Amino acid sequence: MMDIVTYEILRSSLFATAREMKLAMMRTAGSPIVHSGGDASAAVFDAEMQLVAQGNDIPTMLGSAVISTRASVEAIGRDRLRRGDVIVSNDVYLGGGNHQPDVQFTRPVFLDGEIIAFVMTRGHWSDIGGQLPGSYTTLTWDVFAEGIRIPPVLLYRDDRPVEDLVTLILQNTRDPAVRLLDMQAQYAGCVVGDRRIAEIARRYGKEALAAAMRRALDHSERLMRAALRAIPDGVYEAEDAIEPVTGPAGWSREPVPIRVKITKQGDGIHFDYAGSGTQARGGINCPFSVTCNSTWFTVKAITDVTIPINQGCYRPVTISAPEGSILNCTFPAPVVAGNTETSPRIIDLLLKALSAAVPERVVGQSNCGAFSGVFGGMDPDAARVATTGRRFVGMIDPHAGGMGARATKDGVNGVRVYVGNAGSSAVEIIEQTSPVRVEEWSLVPDTGGAGTWRGGLTSRRVYRVAYDEATFTVCGERGIHPPLGQFGGAAGATFRCEVTRDSQVTQVPAKGGHEIVHAGDRVMLQPAGSGGYGDPAGRDRVRLRDDLLDGYVSPEALTRDYGLSGEAAAALLADLPHG
Amino acid sequence: MKRIGIDVGGTFTDVVLVDEAGRVHTAKVPTTPHNRVIGALNGFRRILAIAGCGAAEIGFIGHGSTMATNMVVERTGARTALVTTQGFRDVLELRRIARHDRADLYDLQFDNPDPLVPRRWRHEVAERMDWRGQVDTPLDEAALHAIADRIAESPVEAVAIAFLHAAANPAHERRAADILAQRLPGHFISASHEVNPEVGEYERTSTTVMNAMLGPLCARYIAALQDGLRQEGFAGELLFMGSNGGLADAALVAARPVLLLESGPAGGVSAAIRLGDRHGWPDAILGDMGGTTFDVSLVRGSRAELRSQVLLHSYAVRAPSIDIESIGAGGGSIAWVDAGGGVRIGPQSAGADPGPACYGRGGTRPTVTDCNLLLGYIDPDTFLDGGFKLDRAAAQRAVELHLAQPLGLDTLAAAHAVRAVANALMAQAIRLMTVERGHDPRGFDYLCFGGAGPVHALDLARSLEMARVLVPPVPGLFSALGMVLADRQADLQAAVDRPLSACDGTELEARYAEMEGAARGRLPADAAQSIRRRADCRYAGQPDSIMVDVVDCAPVAIRAAFEAAHRHLWNFTKPDQPVLLNNIRVEARAATGWRGALRFAKGDPAPAPSRTRRVQFGGGQDTARDLPVWRRDDLPEGHRVEGPAVIEEASSSLTLGPGDVARIEAGGVLAITLAVEPRPAPRLEEALA
Repeated sequence: MMDIVTYEILRSSLFATAREMKLAMMRTAGSPIVHSGGDASAAVFDAEMQLVAQGNDIPTMLGSAVISTRASVEAIGRDRLRRGDVIVSNDVYLGGGNHQPDVQFTRPVFLDGEIIAFVMTRGHWSDIGGQLPGSYTTLTWDVFAEGIRIPPVLLYRDDRPVEDLVTLILQNTRDPAVRLLDMQAQYAGCVVGDRRIAEIARRYGKEALAAAMRRALDHSERLMRAALRAIPDGVYEAEDAIEPVTGPAGWSREPVPIRVKITKQGDGIHFDYAGSGTQARGGINCPFSVTCNSTWFTVKAITDVTIPINQGCYRPVTISAPEGSILNCTFPAPVVAGNTETSPRIIDLLLKALSAAVPERVVGQSNCGAFSGVFGGMDPDAARVATTGRRFVGMIDPHAGGMGARATKDGVNGVRVYVGNAGSSAVEIIEQTSPVRVEEWSLVPDTGGAGTWRGGLTSRRVYRVAYDEATFTVCGERGIHPPLGQFGGAAGATFRCEVTRDSQVTQVPAKGGHEIVHAGDRVMLQPAGSGGYGDPAGRDRVRLRDDLLDGYVSPEALTRDYGLSGEAAAALLADLPHG
Repeated sequence: MKRIGIDVGGTFTDVVLVDEAGRVHTAKVPTTPHNRVIGALNGFRRILAIAGCGAAEIGFIGHGSTMATNMVVERTGARTALVTTQGFRDVLELRRIARHDRADLYDLQFDNPDPLVPRRWRHEVAERMDWRGQVDTPLDEAALHAIADRIAESPVEAVAIAFLHAAANPAHERRAADILAQRLPGHFISASHEVNPEVGEYERTSTTVMNAMLGPLCARYIAALQDGLRQEGFAGELLFMGSNGGLADAALVAARPVLLLESGPAGGVSAAIRLGDRHGWPDAILGDMGGTTFDVSLVRGSRAELRSQVLLHSYAVRAPSIDIESIGAGGGSIAWVDAGGGVRIGPQSAGADPGPACYGRGGTRPTVTDCNLLLGYIDPDTFLDGGFKLDRAAAQRAVELHLAQPLGLDTLAAAHAVRAVANALMAQAIRLMTVERGHDPRGFDYLCFGGAGPVHALDLARSLEMARVLVPPVPGLFSALGMVLADRQADLQAAVDRPLSACDGTELEARYAEMEGAARGRLPADAAQSIRRRADCRYAGQPDSIMVDVVDCAPVAIRAAFEAAHRHLWNFTKPDQPVLLNNIRVEARAATGWRGALRFAKGDPAPAPSRTRRVQFGGGQDTARDLPVWRRDDLPEGHRVEGPAVIEEASSSLTLGPGDVARIEAGGVLAITLAVEPRPAPRLEEALA
């Protein structure tokens, strides 16, 4: 057996390699979203394509890479791979991807003519073609409408780009020059990973490397099994519903049910999604990789977050979902928001089911949105165009909603939750670079569900449009189904979006919202809040008073949401200082 | 004139005195956390006694402290109100909406840090500038007066003002600051265009709020220290170390206390720059290993690598700061075995109290220091010159119970495993600072300080294939020495936010000249002054800018400098893309620091090892060697020690491996040439070419 010192050194080197790959990618990226570190990931796999190390990256990209890396290698054929190859893929059906904008590069690492590992980089390309600018609308009939489909194919051979293929891909996006930089960045990340892993193998021996990788997987598996044993055995069930896309006449307006039956026994756990509804119209479906990733995320989150994360963590977890359902959709169902909106809803579903097993670790439901609104159009301001260098301005702005309350504390106000973590742009930078003005960005009182512990509040952004004409697409979540509380905690507010034109207010639906906006229009966008935890009547009076002082809770909510008598509410309000 | 450096740390207050002849005296006294002035004054009296001189002979005191950082981390700053543009009071709380501490993205129990200003004290006023800095909505002065009334009724001591686009046009902020200053005498008032005139409302607001909340308390500390020193008979100049690695006078620091944040490591970096410059090692990686953290920074071409923004306890602070990577792997970090049989270090630390098990103060969990002690890398009898006996049996018990047993190893093998894991973690931090920022560590010397720095230095340098390790004199008090060596410095910045192509070189030259005049005015006229001009540029569309040196104000020259830096950092340029000039910066420096030679104990002309110590190089008993122990103070300049051997001194200990050669260089620096020959490997660009 390998000594513990060598093992620990190799294990930390693998982790460092994943980090360094990500950094190399950011150092080279052109797309702001990758460049600023928001939406890109890197990981190292062993020769059997098991994920052995990943950085502190976007969880949604990494879980599904477990499936897409194998799919990429098998599509090309392991025996056909040689040194200097890079496989590209994004397609959910042909390459096991999570959604089309996330593009994966996979590279085999060779030593002495033998594959000793694989490395992969993944980036969210801010445009991949398809129906509308930004490639982020659920108003899609099928996956073809969501952007170019790239099956696993060799993008580099002998470390040289396959030029015709590069050209074909680039010209299917709306800003090819920036995409080229994204490609170079992901390639650089792979090269760095390849070199680092080969270096480690030469230094310690490839057998030692393989043994350390095996041991790292076994180690995490052992920790996960120990953590699972501590959870009471039993069968835990829950159901919820995914909101339909508001599409053309004739599209179903019925919510799509999602169901889970969790069987926890000993040191294993099984998730069965039988009974979930048929795949839907519009891009809200989850390929199996997204369902797996959401499940794995939840297992990690409710067991022990300190377990070194790799595929070993997932070994005690089995998952089944009926083919053709919204949680295991089949070709050619559209999927763009499955990865960003439906996925957090799966996590909320699982937390609801698991509340019976681990009440102290679950949280109230959350906002579950990602990039809620996207503008696209020509910038009419010549002075600004001179500073930005771009006439066509796609304004993709991640939005912040509430995160649900916990067993011993309130939820989190205005934050990205669960599997995503891209940050927002500064208001001043948005105004310097885009023809919109931000008139307000604030927390919205009473949007966090009441409870012994209050749900996190959502935030509202109000834009004044300065485009002459622009598309405005909305891809939100929880427009109909509010985020529910746990153990008697109340639900938080639903998603809202309004366009105001000549004092005429149009409500824009969360799923499939699509407006043409003009200069002077006001757009208000407010993701959902989040659910509370525990009976609101149990809320500590000092906390309630602080919430009033800080305006997180309005005076009206005292009787309405917290069940205070008129006198008790009046007494609490009378007690407030004026400061 | 004699000079004193005082570094007030979490556990000890370090004091260094350098006299007219360059002779160095040192003292260590306990820090007094409830009132740090007391410890500082104790240190001042102690060093005078040691050096045998009077307070009146001291012409200069350089002071460094982690006080400001602690105030933010412990939330003990002054209660502060915030006034913002209508609609934006929550920017401070919403930050950038991401989970900024990415330590664990799977954690559902994570907390954002509390907002620095509770929402009840965040006020909004109608006013608005557009992105060009043109007035869109005038300032509602009546509303501002009403806000002043509310602030006056609330228990706050400080007020921060942060309006949108104030960097583009500060007129509204200025007016608001005037009104509030008039209405709220006695309040510390801070406006964002003064503290951080730079685009990006969250970061600017956060920085301004920190400045405000530090203001009243730092002013009190400075006054108390000045009074105390005056009563001791000190009549010289008192200066404060800032995060930029330069010293500033009390008046400036009292107005801009945010400059004190993250200044803790700055003293060591200043000392390294001065010594490196004098003795010919301009490029060094600095590793500072103390009780709770390992801090890495970089000196290139005898200049510190700077950054303009820091995330402190997950709050953004924008002030020119020395670029430092810090990890929780210090001597006091606790080692443990997880349920799967893996060795982990930290994040828990035994800190100074109770400290490692071997301190004998009630600590029972094994730390990195305990493991080093068992392996022979630290001597229980000569720690702090024998002033602090270490309890080997306690270390043995802690390692046996918490590490060896669960791992199924003997204690030495377990201790060795911990040391190896600690080394791996530290090597990763160095990688972050170098490889991940586009530098090859093999082109640098490794300079180690902090009490535990030398204990791991040779292993670290070897694993990164660096050829030479430097141990400065008094490595355990290196920061305090830096307070004596550092220069005075004044930084100014201004926002431009225009495409370079639309800038005029002559106009830029004039703006730089004006800022230089203002910066020079803050420095003593009798010292040689130098100016460094810099600019923050980015390609249009990029989220972050890069700071580059400006030698020639012609826009094409600035573009060329930016593109060279961009290529170095990101490996590409975009020749067709407009470049934005975001900020211009001036750094003015006065050569006030000690520039003479430093003289330490002379050494013995014919030194000999005093005894032997058993050191464990690997995990097994067969790897133990009895090594000769040399006292560093005994070694005269030019003396060589060949490994394997131990060189120990009051504040630290160093173990040479077979083939390593140590030599006492000029200035008392111990230089170790490692036995391993570095082998060249291609850089990223070459591999990609």
